[in-house]
Amino acid sequence: MTSHTIPHADDFRAGRELSLDHRKLGMWLFLASEVMFFGGLVGTFLHYKATLPTPEAALLDTVLVGLNTFVLITSSLMVVLGLDAIQRGRRRGLITFLGLTALLGAIFLGGQVFEFISLAGHGVTLQSSVFGSSFYTLTGFHGLHVLIGVIWALVTLMKAARGTYTAQEHAGVEAFGLYWHFVDVVWIVLFTIIYLI
Amino acid sequence: MTDIPRTTHDGRRARGYVMVFLALAAITAIELVLTQIGLAASAAGALFLILSLGKATLVVMFFMHLRQDSRIYTAIFLLPVILVLAFSTLMLMSAGGH
Amino acid sequence: MTTATPALSPRRYFGWSTDHKVIGVQYLVTSFFFFLVGGAMAGMIRTQLLAPDSTLVSAEAFNRLSTNHGSVMLFLWILPVLAGLGNYLVPLQIGARDMAFPRLNALSFWLLVPAGLLMLASFFVGAAEAGWTAYVPLSISGPDGQTLWALSVILLGTSSMMGSINFVTTIFTMRAEGLTFWRLPLFSWSMLATSILVLTATPVLTAGLALIAMDRLVGTLFFSVPAGGDPILWQNLFWFYSHPAVYIMVLPAMGAISEIFPVFARKPVFGYRMIAVSSLAISLLGLTVWAHHMFTSGMDPRLRVPYMISTMIIAVPTGVKIFSWLATIWGGKIRLDTPMLFALGFISMFLIGGITGVFLAAIPVDLHVHDTYFVVAHLHFVLFGGSVSGAYAALYYWYPKITGRRFDERLGKVHFAANFIGTNLAYLPMFLAGLLGMPRRVVNYDPRFTELNQLASLGAFLLAVSVLPLLYNMIVSWVNGPKAGDNPWRARTLEWQGSSPPPVHNFDQPPVVTEGPYDYGEAEARSMMPSPAAAGD
Repeated sequence: MTSHTIPHADDFRAGRELSLDHRKLGMWLFLASEVMFFGGLVGTFLHYKATLPTPEAALLDTVLVGLNTFVLITSSLMVVLGLDAIQRGRRRGLITFLGLTALLGAIFLGGQVFEFISLAGHGVTLQSSVFGSSFYTLTGFHGLHVLIGVIWALVTLMKAARGTYTAQEHAGVEAFGLYWHFVDVVWIVLFTIIYLI
Repeated sequence: MTDIPRTTHDGRRARGYVMVFLALAAITAIELVLTQIGLAASAAGALFLILSLGKATLVVMFFMHLRQDSRIYTAIFLLPVILVLAFSTLMLMSAGGH
Repeated sequence: MTTATPALSPRRYFGWSTDHKVIGVQYLVTSFFFFLVGGAMAGMIRTQLLAPDSTLVSAEAFNRLSTNHGSVMLFLWILPVLAGLGNYLVPLQIGARDMAFPRLNALSFWLLVPAGLLMLASFFVGAAEAGWTAYVPLSISGPDGQTLWALSVILLGTSSMMGSINFVTTIFTMRAEGLTFWRLPLFSWSMLATSILVLTATPVLTAGLALIAMDRLVGTLFFSVPAGGDPILWQNLFWFYSHPAVYIMVLPAMGAISEIFPVFARKPVFGYRMIAVSSLAISLLGLTVWAHHMFTSGMDPRLRVPYMISTMIIAVPTGVKIFSWLATIWGGKIRLDTPMLFALGFISMFLIGGITGVFLAAIPVDLHVHDTYFVVAHLHFVLFGGSVSGAYAALYYWYPKITGRRFDERLGKVHFAANFIGTNLAYLPMFLAGLLGMPRRVVNYDPRFTELNQLASLGAFLLAVSVLPLLYNMIVSWVNGPKAGDNPWRARTLEWQGSSPPPVHNFDQPPVVTEGPYDYGEAEARSMMPSPAAAGD
């Protein structure tokens, strides 16, 4: 199709007047909807935490998960350092930091799998109680987001290796970064309401 | 991104990120210590909520750049956060009702 | 704007396209198909209810029909038809050449198709029968179709969220030069307000539906009452979306008729800014009222009155709109063409729906008429008398834009008359039946309600017939209708300033907007001039 034969000078001029990048704006809007999605799950978890006895909560290994939290926070640092690298035109730095991000994300997932297996060994499963259902659902949906983030990190890494990003043009890295940090923020909240309170 | 000369900007931004990271790590460590010494449950709940809110704010402001980006992004993010807080509070209230 | 448009093949409507105009038409046609399906279900329901003890359909089939009638009409007709209008119009109204994310846009349409088929296919495995509200535990124990229903609604919600990300981004970042927010056409304003609501409310329903689907598929216990699961929790998650959904479904219709009144009264819009801001106010207030659906379900008594008050406050921005529309047409040179007739029909019937909504928000009234036909009448006046009238008005108003042809005005008026009489005949008796105590969602009923039900069925049949002149008109006029010219209504909003139908790239030159869109009746008023770059042409 020969669409758009007459190029417009500048499609996103209005956005730039407001200091908005359309890709970042789209990402933030998506994250806003993600806040509401996790909000629904968190509301459910808290509702049952307040209404039902949860003896299984004593089985949770706060120290292990605390270390996992540390891993995720570190991965967030890797992402911003990668962004900083490409903003200074250092492609190699971006690739290294994205690789570390994916690695730390994978370690987090490994920790989560280990935690799930040991809890299942104590008889806590999706079907064992309302606590089991809401615990695995909430942490599981977060884990799914981490998994998607790891894949996205690797895709971004490959694009970086192909030279897609430069010091001037790296909106793709920023969009990935926003997603990854958001997943981190969700975990900060989940860690508190599931394990600390 | 910005027109600030590269030379003055170079190391400073990365150092800022590391500082934020250290703050996040420190708060996480404090949280873990607090769980191990077994704080009184009623005081602990509020304290943990405040600490995690602080951590989330740090990430959103510095790592996600809301501090220097357009306020429109901030508004887009804050509206659902406020709604979720309201929703969760109302859910807990209705849990208390029956 | 007389540049020759290259002839576009009609085949482009039948495949993947990232052109927002093609996607818009795809939405409109697909949703109309589902409208006919949902209408057929309504026809069966109303035929069954002609007699109090009719055995035309079984109780089980009746529940399946009413559940899917509601779901199809809301999720597969009203939401997508308004999304289709938004897709077609928003980029044209703001002077952009497409949406911000064209591929995402195409994807959100192509999610609609499998989701719709999934919902219809559920009839082969035992369709959902727990009502469109899917209250637990009914929706946990129902037949397999209930799972398909949940998955279908998750897909439809995702599609609608993807569309909303696109609308907000497009409106914020792609407006033409000089098209400030205070010059944004009111329909685009309404799409902005709607999209904000979609993005905040829909994900909560998605979360809730995921819980239902998991309860059914993997045996989680979220809504298992013996294990301590709480049915009220589902109602909170459901209504957090499904009350705002009413505003999602009516705000774009309000935006459409806000465009129509100034054109057909030849007067500037009265209270432009108030109409624009009241859309945002309805969005935000709409997020705070959901539990008024649960006055009878058991809730913290301290919360009842706040929910009642916040619900009633929504009448204020709604009233601002209605009075602004009336003031717009007051003293104007009114032309009663089909779009204007439907817009006027919208006001009169939506008013009935809206006012009875205020009645229902009052706790004592709600306790009395909850789950009666009064509620059915109320929501049909809002959604059929309101949203669907608005969609019809928009369809007729922008028909020459989309097709470049004129429709048959006489058939349009016949459609309006049949639709207006049919709507009132079908739904006014339901108010009475409800007040007299007839419960909703029943397959048989007390014989004293017979006459009221027969009147309602008569109205429903008239509505069914009223679709025929519409369909005939739309199809035949597209093929054989007289050429409409670029701007047959002499409208001033940006979408009418180019050729009709628009070229693929929408505008030959990036437009520059110099005035507001509604300065009708002012000498030499122009809403747009060619950009300086084009001046030499």
